[in-house]
Amino acid sequence: MVEVPLEIYRKSPQDAAPHYDRFQIEVEEHTPVLTVLLKVRDEIDPTLSLRYSCRQAICGSCAMRINGKSRLACRTPVGPEVRLRGRIRIDPMGNQPVLRDLVVDQKPFWDRYYAVKPYLIPDPAHPLPEGRESPMSPEQVEQFRETPRCISCASCYSACPAIASDPSFLGPMALAKLYRFAVDPRDGGYTQRLQAVQNQGLWLCLRCNLCVEACPKDVRPAERIVDLKWMANQELGAREPGSRHAIRFASNLTEGGLLNERRLAVDTLGLGGSLRQLPKAIAMMRKGRSLRRHPPIQGLNEVQAIYQALDRPEDLAHRERQKGADVKGPRPPLPPKATTQSAPPPSKGGSP
Amino acid sequence: MKVAYYPGCVAQESGRELDMATRAVAPLVGIELVDFPNFSCCGSGFVDEANLTLNVALNARNLAIAERAGLTRIMTVCSTCQGMLSLARHTLKENATVARRVEETLRPLGLRYEGRAEARHLLQILVEDLGGAERLKPLIRRPLTGLKVGAFYGCHLLRPHDHVEFDDPEDPHSFEDVIRALGAEPVDYRGRVLCCGFPIQFVKPATAERIAGHQILDAKAHGADAMATPCPLCHISLDGYQKEAGRAVGTELNMPIFHFPQLVGLALGLAPAVLGLPRHLVNVDGALARIGAVAVPA
Repeated sequence: MVEVPLEIYRKSPQDAAPHYDRFQIEVEEHTPVLTVLLKVRDEIDPTLSLRYSCRQAICGSCAMRINGKSRLACRTPVGPEVRLRGRIRIDPMGNQPVLRDLVVDQKPFWDRYYAVKPYLIPDPAHPLPEGRESPMSPEQVEQFRETPRCISCASCYSACPAIASDPSFLGPMALAKLYRFAVDPRDGGYTQRLQAVQNQGLWLCLRCNLCVEACPKDVRPAERIVDLKWMANQELGAREPGSRHAIRFASNLTEGGLLNERRLAVDTLGLGGSLRQLPKAIAMMRKGRSLRRHPPIQGLNEVQAIYQALDRPEDLAHRERQKGADVKGPRPPLPPKATTQSAPPPSKGGSP
Repeated sequence: MKVAYYPGCVAQESGRELDMATRAVAPLVGIELVDFPNFSCCGSGFVDEANLTLNVALNARNLAIAERAGLTRIMTVCSTCQGMLSLARHTLKENATVARRVEETLRPLGLRYEGRAEARHLLQILVEDLGGAERLKPLIRRPLTGLKVGAFYGCHLLRPHDHVEFDDPEDPHSFEDVIRALGAEPVDYRGRVLCCGFPIQFVKPATAERIAGHQILDAKAHGADAMATPCPLCHISLDGYQKEAGRAVGTELNMPIFHFPQLVGLALGLAPAVLGLPRHLVNVDGALARIGAVAVPA
């Protein structure tokens, strides 16, 4: 058994400011936080408001911040949290306005979800077969990675510091969902989907990987966002600062092996943009911090040989698994339609 | 302990004070730095967005170079270098296709990475390999008593946890343990594990600066007199762009930002100039006065 000092965020619509209610509850170490909250509600304070349903990490309703971390309350045991912090502080999810106590208005989350068109856009070049399913090869299924596991719990969204600072960012869940449809062989919206997020939605990801840690289903949204950036680079080229920065950073290293900071600023921001950095450069120089270029590394020829071998679209080995399943390529042939005539029913009771 | 020293690009160019501090502190805590003038850039979380295989190959080369010299620890002083070298090691373990392609590319260069060498951040080495507080306490010459320090980890040192395998990815304590050992008081604030804004400094500066501003304000609201970071990219955001960050959040921040080894060096009695402190854009004299260190012009 463990004593759980609980601090629960409370706020009614008529309250000017939130406060924390404190409770002390004794439960088994492995008891989920949700169970403890329901105990509070059922035995101490029936006015405590929270969302939950399945209690087994399927419905995704009970996401909240537990000791600051965005988690499903139903699959977070109290023991480790008490050991880590000496108490459990419960806050409502982040990045969404609070309606009451732990219940938030999820509109900002769902708005972003709908913005990425989370449905198949028919591909006129590859019409879906009428009246039967459209089979996929194992390689094509592999392309989805872990994204179909998403239960839309918004833990990742709640944890995202980019959303907190810039509401124009689409956020981890919506972008992971976008990836899921962009790689779907039945989808015809590949280019249009990438174009739609190219400007802001995609490149504002900070790669802080908090979404990777928050996700209860290991969807790894930040890594799919890196995939989307790669796809956008290939499909649309270096047309805005984000992709220009990634592509020019890569080529920057071929000259000296280490980053040439001054050169990168000019490459990414353009001459005008980098001129706007001039006051910063002067402030740094006054502190003795000139951007003096370091000499090329020893063995620069090795670095250049690596670039020569691998810096080509056909040598993107990490995409190789997916090559056989080119998103715009042909679908695998349909297996012959199974009918009762061609496939006799299994014999019953005939085996010895 | 002998390590292959991987300073990374920034510590060799605009952030040379980090390199200065590392070289001054390492021998005092028992780390022997071996230099490798052939290490390349780690890719910084940008090259892999253009081409992951290429990025992994560049870092496999770095790891192979250390391994060839018989060293199994590459010591980084940058959270991002640590993250990228760890990403390479993780990818080579998990992805056979990439591993084969990288091996084929390195073989004609006479290089082969066998998986023995791994990247370890200076903070990690101090805490996990050298005994942490126990090692540091007898070495303290100028305890940082009275200084309240907000640790700022830098994302890539912590996450994804299955790549870097260090501390708790969302609620770590290593840095605070060291701060305590140095005689200072760590400040508990949520921003310590969040992003500094650096990755989008060139994409959308206004947002990047607002993010940096939020984290500094958070540390300040929890009583920090100074912040310290094991990542020179965070240092650029928090120190280099602090004026802009302050403008973005509508207040003057005035928060001294130390590189991790600078903070250790101060407690070990090193002079501020030796640690490159006069090179910061945000003046650190207030924090130095608090611990009885005298600022000397560079």
